[in-house]
Amino acid sequence: MSDVKISSDESEGIFNEFIQEQLDEIVDDIINRGDLDRFDDRGSDIIIEMDDIQPPTFIYGDNEGGRGSGGQGPGNEKGKLRFRVPFQAFMELLGQRLRLPNLVKEGDGRIKEFSYSFKTFGQVGVILDKRRTFKRALRSSIGTGVYNPAKGQLDVHVRRRDRRFKLPQREEKPRYKAVCFYMGDISYSTYGERLEMEKRLVNFIHQWLDFNYGAGNVEHRFFVHDMEAHEVSPSDFYKVSNAGGTRASVVFDLVSQIAFNEYETKSTNFYAFYFGDGEVFEDDAKKIIEILQTEMKASFNRVGIVEVKPSQFSYLNREIKREFEKDDIIRMGTLRQRTETIEVIKSLFGERRA
Amino acid sequence: MRSVYSDPELAELQNRVLHHAREFGRQIPEIRFFILDRLEFASLLEKDVYPTSPINIWEGKRMVHKKHAIETGLESALYYEVVQTGNPSYAYLNDSNNAVSQASVMAHVVGHCEFSERNVLGDSSPDRTEFVMYLVKRVDRARRQMGERAYLEYWNAAESATVLIAPNSQYDLERSTETESMFRGETSSTTDEMDRPEAPKPLLPVFDTMTTLLRGTVGSTSFEGELRKKRRDETMSRRGYILKSPCQDVLDFLRHYAPTSRAEHAILDYKYITKAPQDFVARTQIMNEGWAMYWEKKIMHALFEERAVKGIIDYARVFSNVCSPRPYFQRNPYHLGYNLWCHIEQLYRDGKVSLEYHEEVDRDKKNRWREDSDVEPVEALGHLVDTVTDYEFLRRFLTPELVHELHLNRVDRQTAERLGIKDGDIVEQDKRYVWLNPEPIKDEMLGFYTHFYRPRIYVIDSDYQDGCLLLYHRDDGHALRKDWIRPTLRNLNMIWKAPVALLTKDQLFAVMGNQYKSEEVKPVSFEQIIERMQKGERPFRGS
Repeated sequence: MSDVKISSDESEGIFNEFIQEQLDEIVDDIINRGDLDRFDDRGSDIIIEMDDIQPPTFIYGDNEGGRGSGGQGPGNEKGKLRFRVPFQAFMELLGQRLRLPNLVKEGDGRIKEFSYSFKTFGQVGVILDKRRTFKRALRSSIGTGVYNPAKGQLDVHVRRRDRRFKLPQREEKPRYKAVCFYMGDISYSTYGERLEMEKRLVNFIHQWLDFNYGAGNVEHRFFVHDMEAHEVSPSDFYKVSNAGGTRASVVFDLVSQIAFNEYETKSTNFYAFYFGDGEVFEDDAKKIIEILQTEMKASFNRVGIVEVKPSQFSYLNREIKREFEKDDIIRMGTLRQRTETIEVIKSLFGERRA
Repeated sequence: MRSVYSDPELAELQNRVLHHAREFGRQIPEIRFFILDRLEFASLLEKDVYPTSPINIWEGKRMVHKKHAIETGLESALYYEVVQTGNPSYAYLNDSNNAVSQASVMAHVVGHCEFSERNVLGDSSPDRTEFVMYLVKRVDRARRQMGERAYLEYWNAAESATVLIAPNSQYDLERSTETESMFRGETSSTTDEMDRPEAPKPLLPVFDTMTTLLRGTVGSTSFEGELRKKRRDETMSRRGYILKSPCQDVLDFLRHYAPTSRAEHAILDYKYITKAPQDFVARTQIMNEGWAMYWEKKIMHALFEERAVKGIIDYARVFSNVCSPRPYFQRNPYHLGYNLWCHIEQLYRDGKVSLEYHEEVDRDKKNRWREDSDVEPVEALGHLVDTVTDYEFLRRFLTPELVHELHLNRVDRQTAERLGIKDGDIVEQDKRYVWLNPEPIKDEMLGFYTHFYRPRIYVIDSDYQDGCLLLYHRDDGHALRKDWIRPTLRNLNMIWKAPVALLTKDQLFAVMGNQYKSEEVKPVSFEQIIERMQKGERPFRGS
C-alpha cells in the first residue's frame, strides 16, 4: 500500500467545476443586469460570495439546537462561500462572454521588457546543468567500461566535454503603452443615479484597458468642461459641477492638443471617452465633428461619446451619428438606465458589424 | 505515503513502542505505520481515514477550504494522531513532526487499537481498510455504470442519510426487522461478515413464560391471532421482511431494503461502512481517548528511561496541553478520560471498588480506606474496556467531587456571563473563573448519550399508504429545521424510489413524486408507536 498517493484532486476538481458554473452564472448576472459593482478595487482579485452548500439532513432548527450543541450541526453554520477570482481570469471570462475583441496594441517598437530564460545549453558557461552533465558522464562511463555494476565498478567519471552549462537567452517582450482620456460635462446634473451610472462605466473602461495593456501601462487622465476645459484628479472628476452654459468642443480640443504635444503618437495608443447629457449647441457639435475628423480619428484607437440619461434636447450623438455611424474608431452609446451599461460597453468595444 | 520502514529512525522507534506495549501486556492487533506529508494528511482526514475514496463534491469542498486554511496559516497541519483501527490497523504519521511527537503518536495509537479490539461494542473488524478500498473500487465502477450526473445525484442523496446511522442503537436493523431467513431460524444471508460487525446479542427472551405473562392477553382470540399471522405471512412473502419495531439505523435499512441497482447499492454500502464506526467513537470517546493517553504516558516514560527518544520537557508540555481541563459542555475526552482511568486505578489499588467500602458508614474510616485487594488494578481496567461504554463508565465512576476536582464545572467569567449563569448556581469563584454546582453536571453529561444532540429519526412503516416510507421524529422538545425537511425527504425519496414521509410532532411532511405536502395530524408518542407495532397494527394511520 506504500505506493498509494493520498490525494483529493479529483474531488476538488468536481468542486471547482461547480464553482466555475457559479462563476458563469455571476458573469451572466453582470451581463444581464449591468451589475458592475464588483470592480471596486482596481486590479484586485474579484471576491465572489455565495451561500454555502451543505447536504440537507434532519437537524434541529436554528434557534432550537440541542443544549451544548455549540454550533456543531451544519444547520447552525450560517456561512458563506467566498472565493477569490484573479482579476485577469475574471476579465478574460467577461471579455469572452461579451464577445469583446482584444484591443489593438500598437507601438511595440519603443518600449520593451527584457528577460532572460535558460533554454539552451553549451559546453562553456557559469551555471552547470548537473542533470545533463551526469547523464552524459554516465553514458560515457558505461561506454568506456568505467561504470560496470556487474563487476562492482560504480565510478562515474565526469570529463570536461561531458559538462553542460545553462546558457541565458535574451527575450524581448513588447510593452504597450496607452493613454485614456475621460471627458465629463460638469454643467449637467451629474449626481444621484446619473453619477453612479457614469462611475460604473468609467470604472469598467478603466479595468478593461488595464486588463488589455497591463495595469502599469495605461495612463488615465480626467478632464471636465463647462465653457472651458480643465484637467482634474480622478476623484474631482465626479465632484465638480457648475450650472450654466456648456461647450463640449473645448474639451475635445484640449485632449487632442495634449495627445499630440505630450505623447509620441507613433508609439502610444490613445483612447478618449466623453460623458455628458448631449445637450450642445449646433455649432459646438460641428466643431466636435471637425476635431474628430481631422485630428483624433487618425491617431486615436478609440473615441467613445456616451450620452448619460439624455433628454429630448440631446443633440450631440445625433449629429455625430450622421458622420460616423459605421466608423470603427468613433463610437457612440446612450445610457438611459443601469441595465443598458453592458450594451454601451458592447457598442464602445465590440466588433463593428460590417 | 510511505512505509515507516523507509525511515530507519522511525522504524526503530516503532519497534521500541510495540516492544513496550507488549511488555505492558497490551493486546494489540497488527499495526502498520505510514508517513504522510501534510496535504496527504489533510486529504486522509477528509476520506474518513482511508487512503482512497470515491469522487464527491463534499470532500472536494472541504479539501479546498482546508488547503486554503493551511496555506494562509489559519490551520495547522500538525495532527496529533490518526489511526484506522481494525486488524490490521493503519496508523499515519505526519512527516513534519519531530521524533518525540512521532513516538507519542505511536504510543497513543497502541491504546486506540487495543480499545477497538477489546471493547464491548466490537468495533474492530478484520481487514477493514482493505475492504473499504475494495468498496471504493466498486463505487468507481458504479460511477462509470451510472454516468457522472446520475452518480453525483445519487451520492448527494445518500449524503442526506449518512447522519441517520445508529448501528449500536437499541433499535438497530437486526432487532427491528424480521427476515425470511430469521423466520426459518437461519442466519442472515443478506449481509456478509464485513457489512455487519458482530454485535452483542441482546438478552430478550421472546417465548418464555415471563414474556407471555407480561404481555398478557394481547391478541388473545384465535381469530385475531390467525388474521395477524396471515397478514404477517403475506407481508413476509411480498417484501421479504417485517418491521417489528422502529428502526433507528435508517441508512442500514435503506441499503438492505430500498430497491437499488448494484451500482446504487455499492454507494450505500460504502457510505454505511465508512460512517458506521462514528457511532462507536461517539459512544466511547472518553474511555477510548483516556485509555490511549494512559498507555501513551506509560510507554513514553519507558522510552525516555531507556533514552530511545529525547525531549521529555517538550512532551510534558504537549501532554499537559492535550489534557487541559475544559467545562463539561465542551468535553475534552483526553482530559476527562485520562484522569478517570487514573482515578479508577487508584480506587482499585486502595480496594475501594468493593462491597465493604460501599457499606462502610464511618466517614473517617472511609476516608482513610486502604485495603489490599485481590484484583490486579490494570486487569480491572481492562475488564472495564471489555464490558462498558462511556455511559456506564461515567455513571459508575464520575462523582460530584470528581467533577469539581477535574474542573468540569469551571467556566471562565466571560462565558458565564454570556450563558447567563446565576449567582445561585456558583459554588466558588476567583478573578478568572467561576465553579458551578457539580451535582447536576453528571446527569447533564449522561443525557448526551440518549440523543447525542441529534434528532432521533426512526423508520416506523415501510408500507404507509401503499409503499410510502414513513419516518418518525421522536419528540425531545426541539423542532427540526423546517427548510431542510423538504430537500432531505426528496433525497430519501430518490433512494427509496417511492413516497417518503416524516412525522414530527403534529406535522406530517411527505414527498410523493414531484409533490410535496405538509399537513397537521394528531401527534403520536413513541411509546404508542412501539405498542402498536408489537400488536402488529399500523404505527400511524394518517390524519
